[in-house]
Amino acid sequence: MRPLCLHLPVSRHTKGGARIVAEYNVLIAGVGGQGVILISELLGNAAVRDGINVRGSEVLGMAVRGGPVVSIIRLGSDVYGPLIPAGKGDILIALEPSEALRNSTHLSPSSKVILNTETTVPFTVPLGESTYPAMDEIIARLNKVSSEIISLNAREIAVEAGSSLSANIVMLGAAFGAGQLPIKLDTIKEAIQAHFPAKLATINIKAFDLGYQQSRVHHQ
Amino acid sequence: MKELTVGSDAPGERLFLLGNEAIARGAIEAGVQVAAAYPGTPSSEIMETLAGVAQQLGIYVEWSTNEKVAFEVAFAASLSGLRALASMKHVGLNVAHDAVMTASYAGARGGMVLLVADDPWAWSSQSEQDSRYVAEQGYLPVLEPSSVAEARDMMVDAFRLSEEFHHPFMVRSVTRISHGRSDVTLGEISKERRQGHFAKDPARMVFTPSGARKNRPLMIDRFNQIKQAVDTFPGNHLELKNGARLGIIACGLSYSYTREALKWLGLEGQVSLLKIGTPHPLPERLVKELLEAVPEVLVAEELDPFVELHVKAIAGGSNIRVNIHGKDLIPLVGELSTRLLTEAIARLTNSRLPIDFAAIDKLGAELAPLLPARPPTLCPGCPHRASQYALKMAGKRVAREYGQDAEAVYPGDIGCYTLSYLPPIESMDVVLCMGASFGIANGLAHVLDTPVIGQLGDSTFFHSGIPALLNAVFNKAKVTMVILDNTATAMTGFQPHPGTGYTATGEKTTMVKPEDIARACGVEFVEVVDPFDLKQATDVMERAIRFNGPSVVVSRRPCTIIDQRNKKKAGEETIIYHIDQERCDGKCEACIKLLGCPAITKDDGRTIIDDTLCTGCGLCVYTCPYHAILKGVPE
Ligand SMILES: Cc1ncc(C[n+]2csc(CCOP(=O)(O)OP(=O)(O)O)c2C)c(N)n1
Repeated sequence: MRPLCLHLPVSRHTKGGARIVAEYNVLIAGVGGQGVILISELLGNAAVRDGINVRGSEVLGMAVRGGPVVSIIRLGSDVYGPLIPAGKGDILIALEPSEALRNSTHLSPSSKVILNTETTVPFTVPLGESTYPAMDEIIARLNKVSSEIISLNAREIAVEAGSSLSANIVMLGAAFGAGQLPIKLDTIKEAIQAHFPAKLATINIKAFDLGYQQSRVHHQ
Repeated sequence: MKELTVGSDAPGERLFLLGNEAIARGAIEAGVQVAAAYPGTPSSEIMETLAGVAQQLGIYVEWSTNEKVAFEVAFAASLSGLRALASMKHVGLNVAHDAVMTASYAGARGGMVLLVADDPWAWSSQSEQDSRYVAEQGYLPVLEPSSVAEARDMMVDAFRLSEEFHHPFMVRSVTRISHGRSDVTLGEISKERRQGHFAKDPARMVFTPSGARKNRPLMIDRFNQIKQAVDTFPGNHLELKNGARLGIIACGLSYSYTREALKWLGLEGQVSLLKIGTPHPLPERLVKELLEAVPEVLVAEELDPFVELHVKAIAGGSNIRVNIHGKDLIPLVGELSTRLLTEAIARLTNSRLPIDFAAIDKLGAELAPLLPARPPTLCPGCPHRASQYALKMAGKRVAREYGQDAEAVYPGDIGCYTLSYLPPIESMDVVLCMGASFGIANGLAHVLDTPVIGQLGDSTFFHSGIPALLNAVFNKAKVTMVILDNTATAMTGFQPHPGTGYTATGEKTTMVKPEDIARACGVEFVEVVDPFDLKQATDVMERAIRFNGPSVVVSRRPCTIIDQRNKKKAGEETIIYHIDQERCDGKCEACIKLLGCPAITKDDGRTIIDDTLCTGCGLCVYTCPYHAILKGVPE
């Protein structure tokens, strides 16, 4: 594993009890409507609660209309800019497999990929203008640029939690299950609680927990 | 504990904000009392944020009909002694240009800030454009933040400076600031609320030729005073390093990338660094100090070599011998990044690159052909798709009569509907800027012998379509002008406009109908159609195209996203469609090929409708030669 803290011992903590990191880069990718931005908002809000320096940016472009969406969250004391420098991504949370591939050039060899296996095939494919890669090919390519892939069907798990709309939160849970995010588990859950009205919060906490467990199982 | 929001008066607290929220927060802290804008990515959330707290904080906020009006509304408030903000995207500044140029002659009374968001790489724009040139032309000082947090600081500074120097100020954002996110420490909110007072002073406020001659020297004088002051402005900052051979002048956001690049290269402390927060006017003393201290200088900035040219002028004017680099090493196209700065600095310092960028590029090139194209597209059930389909059919029917190969020409405009220039619809032949569809249609009508059909959205019509419509009547252009009325400014996030019947703060107001305006302008053929009644819509459009004179068709159907939202709220069910597999041969694919609707797709050789995407518009029914598309879900 690549050391999380380049200049500080791993054991240092912030006032809130979170681990101090120099730089931890999260890339969240998907297509319009999948809730990419919500993941980054929750991560950012939680980081602030934990006293961690946070920067990021997103490109929606014309994403509402079905285009790709990429959001960036950067955590740590050494982070200035809104973009992840090429090759410095630590974790890719991909809500769509081909979008995972599209963004894989940002990854570092020690990075992790949290992969939702459910595909969203763009209309150009039935139109015959482009093709969608086979899942094996996607996994093989991602394996070459990352240290670990944790794949799951987030929609199915979300349905189990109570709503297919919570697939993004399942993915967030799985990302935490991978064990490197410097934000405390309690804090991200607080951020989820604070974001949703009570009934939806319960579903989303469940979605988070199921995603978390799924990726823990994966680890063993 | 009450949740913190962007309107909370909680100095010292930290909040995770979008750049545009931080910009709005800065205006709030500065005590802005009037704010006006026309939407445009990446600037829209500024006014949305202010609209959200308008009532709570006593701020007048409006979505204006266009950027020129927005600027004038804000400027009027400044002239009346209030702090005022106008915000817009870069191309919006072109629309406001005329007003902005003379406003700097008039100067400001209450602090006047013009926020312009540039869009390097044109993520959501028709062009890349560097607004600092416009500022230079108009003697507008520019503040340019290096981060989201500094954007908030600089908004507060801009209001203060504008008032101090009685001059309007521009703040330049870019996409990665406006749509950047960061933790931001909140400052105190000014509670001052001023009463508007217009002190009459025609000699200074009425711009006749003599007024211009009188005011130009005063304006230049004010600008020169600002120039004296910027050397000590905290947004400008010089770090000279002993023995450094390279100096970097980093403007705005590029400062963040530069800091990261220096760290990545292990060059921290070995390079002198001048952070520029005022690209116009530049802090000349600081620039000279740097130029005299190093033999080699790199200028980093988003978009054009604006600072670079001025730095070169300063070097030349002061006879300083130094090599100045900039856009020779950093691309002129697109946005900057830590990587681009790293590569440029590595070249100038003969340093080793921290990672193998070429390998990353190679990987990217290998991946590209594997990836499915995912262009943005009209949503399933978008009424624009139906309007385009009708227009194309109508155009074809009439064009035939102009000759065997004759084709109707379709000048288009900017909005969601622009996406229909793509296959398979391909119903926009030229798209320039907002409102240009009707203007271009006017011109084409005088030189082409074929039907000319211009089309724009309702928000665009109110923004800048009306003068060209009037022109068609005045100058007898035989054009068909279609207004795609989805009762929304959909592309930029559903901001209200004069046709929606409510204002930025949700107040009810008069609902203006484009057809009434068209009639009032003297158009004799004006009809309103429902694009989902495809046959009727096509027939009316055909008649409009045949009409001997300017004709207007309003194609009206609410945006599906809004419609679906409303239905959900009202508990109304959406009845969707399915494809009867017994009747569909699975091979003809007319529905797919004619419409490109994301809800119609292939599954194991079958053509199917995705029940999670279909919104039940029923347009595909018209395309199926086998009558295989049926209402409801299959039994
Ligand atoms: C001068 C200018 N201002 C703002 C924009 C940003 N912009 C692009 S499309 C659009 C509005 C589109 O609304 P409408 O014409 O109603 O079409 P819709 O998206 O609803 O289909 C705006 C504001 C722009 N491109 N140019």
